[in-house]
Amino acid sequence: MSGTQIKNLVSMLNQIANNNNYKKTDEETAKIVANHLQKFWAPSMRNKMTKYLADDGPELTNVSKLALAQLK
Amino acid sequence: MVNYYNPATEGTSNQPKFDVNKDYGTPASKSTETVCIEIDGVTLTVAEGTSVLRAASMADINIPKLCASDNLKAFGSCRLCAVQITGMRGYPASCTTPVKEGMVVTTQNNDIAKLRRNIMELYISDHPLDCLTCSSNGDCELQDVAGAVGLREVRYGFDGDNHLDAKIDDSNPYFTFEPSKCITCSRCVRACEEVQGTFALTIEGRGFASKVSAGTSDENFMSSDCVSCGACVQACPTATLMEKSVIEKGQPEHSIITTCAYCGVGCSFKAEMKGEEVIRMVPYKGGKANQGHSCVKGRFAFGYATHKDRVTEPMVRDSIDEEWRVVSWDEALAFSANKIKNIQAKYGRESVGGITSSRCTNEETYLVQKLIRAAFGNNNTDTCARVCHSPTGYGLKATIGESAGTQTFESVMKSDVIMVIGANPTDAHPVFASLLRKRLREGAELIVVDPRTIDLLNTAHINANHHLPLKPGTNVAMINAIAHVVISEGLEDKNFIEKRTDEYNAWREFILDEVNSPEAMESITTVNAEQIRIAARAFAKAKNGAIYYGLGVTEHSQGSTMVMGIANLALATGNIGREGVGINPLRGQNNVQGSCDMGSFPQELPGYQHVSDDLLRGKFEKNWGVTLDNEPGLRIPNMFDAAIEGTFKAMYVQGEDILQSDPNTQHVQAALSSLECLIVQDIFLNETALYAHVFLPGSSFLEKDGTFTNAERRINRVRKVMKPLAKYADWEVTQKLSNALGYPMNYEHPSEIMDEIASLVPSFSQVSYKKLEEQGSIQWPCNEEFPDGSPIMHVESFPIGNGRFAITPYLASEDRANKRFPLLLTTGRILSQYNVGAQTRRTANQTWHKEDVLEIHPNDADERGINDGDWLGITSRAGDTVLKAKVSERMQSGVVFTTFHHPISGANVITTDSSDWATNCPEYKVTAVQVEKVTSPSDWQTRYKKFSAQQKEHFKRSPKKEKTTIGR
Ligand code: SF4
Ligand code: SF4
Ligand code: SF4
Ligand code: FES
Repeated sequence: MSGTQIKNLVSMLNQIANNNNYKKTDEETAKIVANHLQKFWAPSMRNKMTKYLADDGPELTNVSKLALAQLK
Repeated sequence: MVNYYNPATEGTSNQPKFDVNKDYGTPASKSTETVCIEIDGVTLTVAEGTSVLRAASMADINIPKLCASDNLKAFGSCRLCAVQITGMRGYPASCTTPVKEGMVVTTQNNDIAKLRRNIMELYISDHPLDCLTCSSNGDCELQDVAGAVGLREVRYGFDGDNHLDAKIDDSNPYFTFEPSKCITCSRCVRACEEVQGTFALTIEGRGFASKVSAGTSDENFMSSDCVSCGACVQACPTATLMEKSVIEKGQPEHSIITTCAYCGVGCSFKAEMKGEEVIRMVPYKGGKANQGHSCVKGRFAFGYATHKDRVTEPMVRDSIDEEWRVVSWDEALAFSANKIKNIQAKYGRESVGGITSSRCTNEETYLVQKLIRAAFGNNNTDTCARVCHSPTGYGLKATIGESAGTQTFESVMKSDVIMVIGANPTDAHPVFASLLRKRLREGAELIVVDPRTIDLLNTAHINANHHLPLKPGTNVAMINAIAHVVISEGLEDKNFIEKRTDEYNAWREFILDEVNSPEAMESITTVNAEQIRIAARAFAKAKNGAIYYGLGVTEHSQGSTMVMGIANLALATGNIGREGVGINPLRGQNNVQGSCDMGSFPQELPGYQHVSDDLLRGKFEKNWGVTLDNEPGLRIPNMFDAAIEGTFKAMYVQGEDILQSDPNTQHVQAALSSLECLIVQDIFLNETALYAHVFLPGSSFLEKDGTFTNAERRINRVRKVMKPLAKYADWEVTQKLSNALGYPMNYEHPSEIMDEIASLVPSFSQVSYKKLEEQGSIQWPCNEEFPDGSPIMHVESFPIGNGRFAITPYLASEDRANKRFPLLLTTGRILSQYNVGAQTRRTANQTWHKEDVLEIHPNDADERGINDGDWLGITSRAGDTVLKAKVSERMQSGVVFTTFHHPISGANVITTDSSDWATNCPEYKVTAVQVEKVTSPSDWQTRYKKFSAQQKEHFKRSPKKEKTTIGR
């Protein structure tokens, strides 16, 4: 897995969270983010992120972690 | 002018009551009141305000005229249209005399005839009598009128004082100005003012000494304000202003109506032909998008289609270090299919994908995505709209339920306040800009939200202008501040909000937050708060407020948020669902709207139907006879990332030059060189093709049938005027590739593809080629509810029921100016060039823009000791390149600007991969850079030149491919 790709995916993920967290709890935002990933991200991209999370996902924010945990 | 009869488009049942090929002399009256008059014994009922000339013409009584034309206000200078009217003295000019109830008009008798002959005699005595060798012979109104009035002798002789030896001005590459043939009718001057809105021409001097001039006396057309739109050439009744192509080749003999393949305005043209050769393109008066006007690209820059660089034979190679081998079509397709199959067998179904083209027809785009989904068996399809208007899709769908502009272009003529955000219509959508300027001259107010002082702000004869020169990357802060003013000052449309929207209260609370006030945002947008308040009030108080926006809105990390912010403003002020208002994305390329509609995006099947919806997907599975993937595929930037990572191995790219147009060039180069099979289908060996293994020759818009959908959702017909140079139209090539892959496609004509689209896409359900022939064009949705199409959308309700307000907090762009990169680079385009320039660079449009330059504000230039023409090194965190300096006050200090029309400029070497959060649309409009004087090209440029030269070696042209160039 290339480092830049992970870096890109992480920053995209965090970006989605930051644009959808206005006056929301982390759980609420995570739901929106998970929904967005389901709708717009290819499964291979989502899988990379869930794997990264399983490996501790150091760069992920709390919301991103919560969102990834919800993915089917 | 010659009148053409085109059985393909005219003479069918539902044609407009009037003949678009006829010049009625003066514009139609808009009045609904009618008046009854008698002309030459014929009783007529016409609209009040109609001229006598037009009224007569409608009854096919054709009064001679020279200075009148129905796209210009009547001027009354030639007097040839003189008539007699009972109760009026003398011989009034019928073009300037409006009809009155009970009027009795005589258009022909001996006295009138004598008067007209006398006038003609005067004209002809100062006119060269070289009719037989004149370029206008057969298409000259002066000739026609001389014939009509029966001129037989010229008593004055030809040796008096005259203008016969006036010098020809051939400075413009496309037309000449031959003053000796000028009859000073001023149609050119008025066309430049009224139709184009440029005011480049004047009539200088008085009486006999008067002559047409492009600015000061020693100036020629090329050095004047002229933008080469050609409106004056079309208006000129003589050979004075004449296309060079006609001078060289003679008058065309037949014409076919088709659609311009450059920008999202989608102008209709008559391709005037001699055999299979286009002699000239004349904007078609019956075209609803352009109503007989055009810009320099569509009218003149068509020569690329037959340029000698066209590649007309398929080529293959195993590696990009090898020479190309010219092969037969069958071989090239078998080679491609084999590679794809082997790659999928080795790396999996997901390892291949493709890119559809926003320049190709709807039918072609539809086929490419169908091939990817059905024959590749995955959803790895995307289109260049990813890099321009994908946020429009996301943002509008979320707020108003349909990802398309809500209006017709014509709607702007009813707007009172027009807000233009991040768009430069005079350069990127010129024909719409002319209409917009016309409305501004009629008194509408203009609000421009843009870092640059765009040319629209310099419109002649307009009243109220607001310019909000915000810092790049702060759009959302600005739109929130505007909405904050509207709500906090109680200027919202309460009725509309209550009846037509949801989620207002939450949004209201958000927008009223002090952080969104213009005062709080001042430090972010750098625009004076009071200025914002004044503009916001003007917009909110307007009876009709319309918003037009372009890539300056979408190409940001908050592009989608901004689109929703725009929708919020339109909803809050009730500016949706009627003429004169609306949300109007100005689309870049000719078929961006169409390529989005046709299912180019990885998550959506044609008609924006999500792949995960079993019911919707089921419909397609049944029709296509395959099982489709129910998960979204990769988007372009994701494909690049996956290619570098080694999981994505093959790509089929139709009609897009992703290497030049996509951001962070070095990243794209790395991705493309990791592919095992890159199939490029294009009319030229473009930059992307330097990395290709298969080259499939494409066809230009002149070589195929199909449709384009413009920025007003208008589906326009594209008609074949010549055979494809490489034997097949693009849709045929895709079909053959699909067959080679084992997924059968058997369309005989693009109309069958449209029928399939209509059966699968609800908003297209009643679209057919037959209906297109009848109506000329159709604005979707066109279905049972709207059988004739929908000029204005959302009149009663939205596809999602009510409009939805979206919460749109401002977040700073990640690429902010800092110590190391203190300036912000923003990119854009200019009038004469188009996108990556592959077409326009191969025409005389080069005359206007030979190279990309870096525009820099005098303050920033001074600080760095930069002068006009210096070589500048521009560095960002992605890379660096070298461009020539142009010191310009169009920029604010701290912001630099460039275009990306030339590959060697490497503008996209500097743009980064930061992108819109929702759609990955790249942030072209904000890149933090440093600029300094340098003496040599950048390393990248040197490397690229070398690579490019090497690739040229690999491309050995077979001699039989040399083709003649037309239109220059
Ligand atoms: S070409 Fe267009 S801009 Fe130039 S002078 Fe003619 S009408 Fe004006
Ligand atoms: S150049 Fe043509 S249109 Fe212009 S004034 Fe002369 S004759 Fe009329
Ligand atoms: S480039 Fe655009 S404005 Fe110009 S002629 Fe073509 S469609 Fe019309
Ligand atoms: S046409 Fe009426 S005065 Fe010229």
